[in-house]
Amino acid sequence: MSEITEPIIRVNDLRVNIKMDEGTLTPVRGVSFEIRPGETLGLVGESGCGKSLTSKAILGINEKKCQSSGEIFFQGEDGKTIDLLKLNPRGKEIRAIRGKQISMIFQEPMVAFSPMYTIGNQINECTMLHITKDKKESKAITLEMMKKVGIANAEKRYDQYPHEFSGGMLQRALIAMALVCKPRLLIADEPTTALDVTIQAQILELMQQLQKEMQMAILFITHDLGTVAKMCDRVAVMYLGRIVETGTAREIYKAPQHPYTRGLMGSVHKIGSRKLDRLYSIEGTVPLALNLKPGCGFYERCDARVEGVCDQAEPDLIQLEGTHCAACVHCRKEGKAE
Amino acid sequence: MGNYILKRVLTFLPILLIMSLVIFFIIQLPPGDYLTSYVAGLKAEGQIVDESELASLKERYGLDQPWFMQYFKWMGNILTRFDFGYSFKYEAPVWSTIASVLPMTIVVSLVTMLFNYLVGIPIGIYSAVHQYSIGDYCFTLLGFIGMAVPNFLFAILLMYGTYIWTGTAFIGLYTSEVLVGLQQGTMQWWEVLGRGDFWGRMAIPIIVIGTSGTCGTLRSMRAQMLDELGRNYVLCARAKGVSEKRIVYKYCLRAALNPTVSGLSGVLSHIFNGSTISAIVMNLQLVGPMLYEALKAQDMYLAGTILLVMGFLIIIGTLLSDILLAWLDPRIRFSGRRAE
Repeated sequence: MSEITEPIIRVNDLRVNIKMDEGTLTPVRGVSFEIRPGETLGLVGESGCGKSLTSKAILGINEKKCQSSGEIFFQGEDGKTIDLLKLNPRGKEIRAIRGKQISMIFQEPMVAFSPMYTIGNQINECTMLHITKDKKESKAITLEMMKKVGIANAEKRYDQYPHEFSGGMLQRALIAMALVCKPRLLIADEPTTALDVTIQAQILELMQQLQKEMQMAILFITHDLGTVAKMCDRVAVMYLGRIVETGTAREIYKAPQHPYTRGLMGSVHKIGSRKLDRLYSIEGTVPLALNLKPGCGFYERCDARVEGVCDQAEPDLIQLEGTHCAACVHCRKEGKAE
Repeated sequence: MGNYILKRVLTFLPILLIMSLVIFFIIQLPPGDYLTSYVAGLKAEGQIVDESELASLKERYGLDQPWFMQYFKWMGNILTRFDFGYSFKYEAPVWSTIASVLPMTIVVSLVTMLFNYLVGIPIGIYSAVHQYSIGDYCFTLLGFIGMAVPNFLFAILLMYGTYIWTGTAFIGLYTSEVLVGLQQGTMQWWEVLGRGDFWGRMAIPIIVIGTSGTCGTLRSMRAQMLDELGRNYVLCARAKGVSEKRIVYKYCLRAALNPTVSGLSGVLSHIFNGSTISAIVMNLQLVGPMLYEALKAQDMYLAGTILLVMGFLIIIGTLLSDILLAWLDPRIRFSGRRAE
């Protein structure tokens, strides 16, 4: 779509290390991507593949024991580009960006709010911190955003506590809290996982509509491929801390190249498929990113592995058609890059 | 909120009545009464006891009646005339006997509680926020020592220490001058509170009685804060751009205070019970040693009244902690409303 515009965020070779007694855990091992204004990038992968750590590294809110390295260039409202990783994670500069320019929606709305304060108080805190010190004006902005995300009777809801909200309403409130300062980048970490399917669709539509209005970029983290197809312009598939395949949603859905992506696609139930077809499942689980052997991270679980090749070196991302890239030795043979 | 408090206060009265019944029943359980132990003492000294005089004494104090009759008579006098009975051992009305030590006991208890919270809570917060730092390790070690060392041992050590360092021995809360004044009635207990030397003397008992409770508060505060700091809403607040300080004090502290506040009455009873042995060791004129003497001599009205007063104070503590909890945690405040 808008190839000419500068990306809002450019993540370059992001690594997250966790020092443990047994050695160094490397849950994120060199992730790179960029997102442009108005664009949605879907970050897809199983639990434990490093999606959430990647997103939290952008905001600098990972636990202290997680050390991030690499570069995260963010273009602020003033047009200047800064490396977020260079900022002190507890300092003023990054706090001025959090919630204001980059904000995040968390996966479980029921625990994302403190039970001790009203919803209004907690959303209002955002505007008080970033937009205005005037209490009346701040409350007005908060109420407007609560109405916008579809919270009926916002004036009354403003003074209610999280335990008086339903799950779907809490997720709306959480979205209101993330969007109230009109951020340039929204990170949505599995925003609909904890909700039932009908509410899911409503929430996703709401997010799309608000994205159009505000022209913000979205990093959409999920393991649900159906949601990705609905929401995302581009997709990055993550496995064991690396991006193994990336491209536009159309490219990836049409012709998944990496065996892992193909496995993921195979494990989605499609309407119209014969009843007796068993859903495909990938054997095993994501290994622990500790003392990794050389070779492809997917080697143990891959049904297309080539002994003597795949267990020697980890393949790099190779450009195939258009923006479609994949990291697999099989792609090298078939792809146009060679 | 008003309704909530009213409901709490109303439940308070039946609890008090049931408590008084149980107390009285238990107090009179041991075989014999004050007169039998008094007579045994006289006989041991070789004195002749007049049986008819004994019978008339028994009748006068109602000791020949069954226990529940004694209880109703006692309760009736309390409710109608605020008369708590007669102390055989001190040979004076119970109320005036207790009045000589009760105010100071309450003062010492409240100050000890204050010490408990003012020291325990901040250190607990510090320990949690700086988990596994050198400071945290030091406070944790001190906390365990404080919880493990018995009060009376602490009292003896501190008394020995003050004697070695200052050269004056620590005996009791009051200087001899004040003690004489109090006994002769030329001085009232509230006048004592204005004296600097009293507060200097107060330090040792407070540290002795309060240390184990303080260390308990410290430990539970630390654990609760760590719990809260690991919750998702903290991450969410951080992602909003809220500062660490505000996260700790606005969000975590309020939630973490819950067990500490609900333990308020427990701390109070801990102070009452824990102070008895320390008060005997340090020769403090508090209620604890008096209760001990009363129980030893089967002075049932005195012992019963002391227990009743302590129970009353603990119930008030519970009431206070309930109100505080409702103020702290909206979920508690609303639980009643939803049921209606």
